[in-house]
Amino acid sequence: MSASTAAEEQAWNLRQLAADPVRPLVRVWKHQSPAVVLGSAQRSLRAAIERRTDGAIPLVDRSAGGAAVLAGPWMISASIVLPGGHSLLGGNLVDCYRWLGQLHVEALAECGVRAYALPSHELRRANAAIGARTVDWACFGALSPWEVVAPDCRKLVGFAQRRQRNGVLLVAGTLVADPDWSLLCDVMGHPEDESVLRRRTVSCEELAGRAIDPRRFAATLEQLTDASASVDANVVNGSTVPRQPAAAISY
Amino acid sequence: MIEITLPDDVWQDVEPGTEALVDKWLVSEGDTVRAGQPIAEVVIVKAHQEIVAPADGRIEKIQVKAEETFGKGRSLALLSE
Repeated sequence: MSASTAAEEQAWNLRQLAADPVRPLVRVWKHQSPAVVLGSAQRSLRAAIERRTDGAIPLVDRSAGGAAVLAGPWMISASIVLPGGHSLLGGNLVDCYRWLGQLHVEALAECGVRAYALPSHELRRANAAIGARTVDWACFGALSPWEVVAPDCRKLVGFAQRRQRNGVLLVAGTLVADPDWSLLCDVMGHPEDESVLRRRTVSCEELAGRAIDPRRFAATLEQLTDASASVDANVVNGSTVPRQPAAAISY
Repeated sequence: MIEITLPDDVWQDVEPGTEALVDKWLVSEGDTVRAGQPIAEVVIVKAHQEIVAPADGRIEKIQVKAEETFGKGRSLALLSE
């Protein structure tokens, strides 16, 4: 089992889009060490964070939109690249989230986690139902269309995407265990938001009443993506024999 | 003169009142561009979206600067053919 980092994940994402993708690709990631991943429009925060943390934690820029995420052993993330003109891109950007949400709901159900993808028209109700204010600087601090939530609307999976002429990158982060919210809030300079993020989120472990098998979740996610997007996928660093060289699950 | 906007299909199913953000301009006023050339990147509903030139021409004026937000239908820049 080889190690991967959040920086490697972001670099892989950029490479796939830069290479003019000709077929769907999927890669699922689980990182052993924490890193803060900033959304594409949060570059201006970097200098202040670096001064505050003095390099104590890796800081990575995400090519997709959205807000800050704390990557680490509590999260499984997925990168799905669709070439320009792919049938799944026939709709709009919100439709892509809908597909991604349904994909995650199915994969989570296979692992015994009951959750659902939040339709756009339920966003306001759901954000209010949690009973805590939103935290705009954090991906998990607010809900967006078709993100995956628990029945009580606490957020379980966050999405973002990058749309270029030659292809679209869809990314997702699933909380398999409780993140170190204190670490993220300290790094971002908002320690007062820790309790809010705890109230607004939930992990697979809490919902299932036990730790889920990250390999099983990752493999299921990859298989479902393969089935619905005709993705040529494989598993490396695991026991499955590779079928194609361009897609992988990395731990 | 062509008004460059974020295409309507991008706004489809986006909650009314939502604003997009110009993340960065890839060209400057006075630059010559080709049809299909990426000229700006915007962020909307957690999506980083590329904007391309609709035709060959020259960027006459950038109307929404980087890090400013805008709503549906707003002209981002003017392009002369």
